[in-house]
Amino acid sequence: MSASNCLRCLVRPSAVTLAPRQILQAGAGAAGAGAAGATRTFTATASPNNQMSANRPQKLRFRKVKKKGITPQGKPPLPGERKAYRKKIVLSNNNALPVAGLETLRPNDLSKQKNVGTVMALPEDVVDALRATEAFKPTQCWGIFRQPSVLVRQETVDLIKKMDGAAADGKTLRLVVEGNRISGKSLMLLQAMTHAFMNDWVVLHIPEAQELTTACTEYSPLENSPLWSQPVYTLKLLQAFKKANEKVLSRMNTVYSHADLPQIIPINSPLIQLINSAKEADGAWAVFQALWRELNAENAGRPSILFTLDGLAHIMKMSDYRNPAFELIHSHDLALVKVFTDCLSGAHKMPNGGAVLAATTRGNSPRSASMELAIAQREAEAAKEEVIPQRDPYGKKYDDRVEAVMKSVEVLRLKGVSKAEARGLLEYWAASGALKKRVDEELVSEKWTLSGNGVVGEMERATLLTMKG
Amino acid sequence: MMASLRHSITNALRSSRQACNKPAQWQSLEQQFGALRIGSRSLSTFSNTEPNPNDDSPIVAAPPVSVDHFKLHPYARAVPVSPSYFTRTPRFYDNYLALEKLMEQYEELPVIPATAVERVAWKTLDDIRQELGEQVKASEFARCMVLVKRLNSIHPDLKPKQVKDVLDGFKRSVQPFTNTAKPIPIDQFGRACGVGRRKASSARAFVVEGTGEVLVNGKTLAEYFGRVHDRESAVWALRATNRIDKYNVWIKVEGGGTTGQAEAITLAIAKGLLAHEPALKPALRRAGCITRDPRKVERKKHGHVKARKMPTWVKR
Repeated sequence: MSASNCLRCLVRPSAVTLAPRQILQAGAGAAGAGAAGATRTFTATASPNNQMSANRPQKLRFRKVKKKGITPQGKPPLPGERKAYRKKIVLSNNNALPVAGLETLRPNDLSKQKNVGTVMALPEDVVDALRATEAFKPTQCWGIFRQPSVLVRQETVDLIKKMDGAAADGKTLRLVVEGNRISGKSLMLLQAMTHAFMNDWVVLHIPEAQELTTACTEYSPLENSPLWSQPVYTLKLLQAFKKANEKVLSRMNTVYSHADLPQIIPINSPLIQLINSAKEADGAWAVFQALWRELNAENAGRPSILFTLDGLAHIMKMSDYRNPAFELIHSHDLALVKVFTDCLSGAHKMPNGGAVLAATTRGNSPRSASMELAIAQREAEAAKEEVIPQRDPYGKKYDDRVEAVMKSVEVLRLKGVSKAEARGLLEYWAASGALKKRVDEELVSEKWTLSGNGVVGEMERATLLTMKG
Repeated sequence: MMASLRHSITNALRSSRQACNKPAQWQSLEQQFGALRIGSRSLSTFSNTEPNPNDDSPIVAAPPVSVDHFKLHPYARAVPVSPSYFTRTPRFYDNYLALEKLMEQYEELPVIPATAVERVAWKTLDDIRQELGEQVKASEFARCMVLVKRLNSIHPDLKPKQVKDVLDGFKRSVQPFTNTAKPIPIDQFGRACGVGRRKASSARAFVVEGTGEVLVNGKTLAEYFGRVHDRESAVWALRATNRIDKYNVWIKVEGGGTTGQAEAITLAIAKGLLAHEPALKPALRRAGCITRDPRKVERKKHGHVKARKMPTWVKR
């Protein structure tokens, strides 16, 4: 909602009390003579009082004397500096040893079975693209190693094969990546994105779903629609999208004319130009819609699309936004979220094929009973179990819209890595100088057990981050 | 009444004197006591030497008391029975002398080597002091124990009962060395169940040959213990013996906190492992997985805020 009409009414009470004093000070120069006279009279009357008080016995003071605090040395950090440091992503470390024989990923490497258990480096242009989409997270330990590299897991190869198969058939792979804490869910998305970037797909990534639904970005109602747009976030997403996919987008031209945009884009103009027309937040949603329409154009030689989202539970509940009636808005009524959920549910079909991947998260994730139930049901169906989990008949927290979206998705549950994969990872750590022990069967099995049967993040904690506790 | 009583006693005594004068005619003791009985019937009766079957209360005098037995030699002094009566610790010396006497008596009996002697928990110096109520010297007690152990090493088949009885007096009432641990069986599925405890936690570990998978209360080690240190202490028994990839462990643990549970699991796994490989005991002992840590929360005392903490001093 716009806040243009009366910002002063919303100023905090403490700020309001300050205002008259400032006015007085400003007016002091104009009424200088009167003010000076007042002070003189005050000092004149004050002096006899002081003499009298000198004769009186000293009063006991009950108020505590304030101690002098420690004066801060140096200048305090600027606003936002601490957060920037906390969120800083370091992807290389010159002190780490270069790993001999480390191969750089080539377009088809992630789908080859023989690469399972090896660590492979990300190509530089892909690293830039991934950084633009915010695929790297500050909690991941990229800064220990010389070059960002990933372990090829069995699950990775399976997922990439599925993606390739779906894209080849012009279908869409709709899949939810599920797993325990630090079991590599976000990294699985990163690997899928890496594969997409290397194979000239178009990648649209929402790095934190909670940014969309926790009411921390602006929102406005869309005309003639029950949906709500989030212009500022959309603009940011468009820019990140452009930066990450520049190479692919530069080869594409528009096939529709877009007359309703802030800037008129004729047919057959570069797609980059369309994205660039979103200069301000106001027109961002219209541009995004136009772009989405262009990307899904049939028979125009468009590449496959990979649409990913991290933190699925955040969009599977009521959002923190409110409508004019002060009722909570459902997350699926946010336009951007709806684009994703339509793809995930299969309501929107991508004509050029591709994949829609969503990863759940365990850190700071809200409980979404319907999402958990749907995941359990899909898993049971995939395993062909006799008993499919059903709703708790007394539960009130179920959400039909969520269950409708997740009616037919696939579920990829990440568990620990195998011992062979664990060995590959440990050998890479040892070669990088991060692990100063001989990597043998004993060490591998010890770390594998300590990490809860090979959970990758736990293995990292038990091996590399021992000083952190 | 009093007059009649005196009269009857006088008559009875008189009759007893008469009886003494005629020793040939001893009367039964019963009759004499019958004479002393106080009753209306005895009032008018004189002693009758002939027992009358019809009369059940004949009055007969008591026999004279001889003082010959109690007479001491006019110049003798009283000598105590025990030779150690005048020492500071007479009861202890009595025991010691008894041991010496036995030693002299059975010195010739064959002994078995010290390693073959069955282990016995002897009473300690404090126990002996407590029992005898005497301030026994440590050096004397040590000498006594040398004798005890020498007598104990007599060949058990030839050990006289007398020696056994004396030695029993030196044994503690509870003999911990006779306790034997029950061996942990390995069941038909190859599982050995070990139990371990620490603080308020108790853990049961089912150890089975496998590939190094560990489940604690149905969760993996990483899910159950957030701290890496706790995970390490839980599987320490396997880690210290290089057996981590040789066994699978399924654990049920309850009570206490995180650290207590982790260390209870250490002991439980060690016991289960010992059932499979008893030869690992010394290695496990060196790793600290055999002995139960007896430390527990110290109780709170009155007058204290906690077990030891005292209340803050307040002026008035």
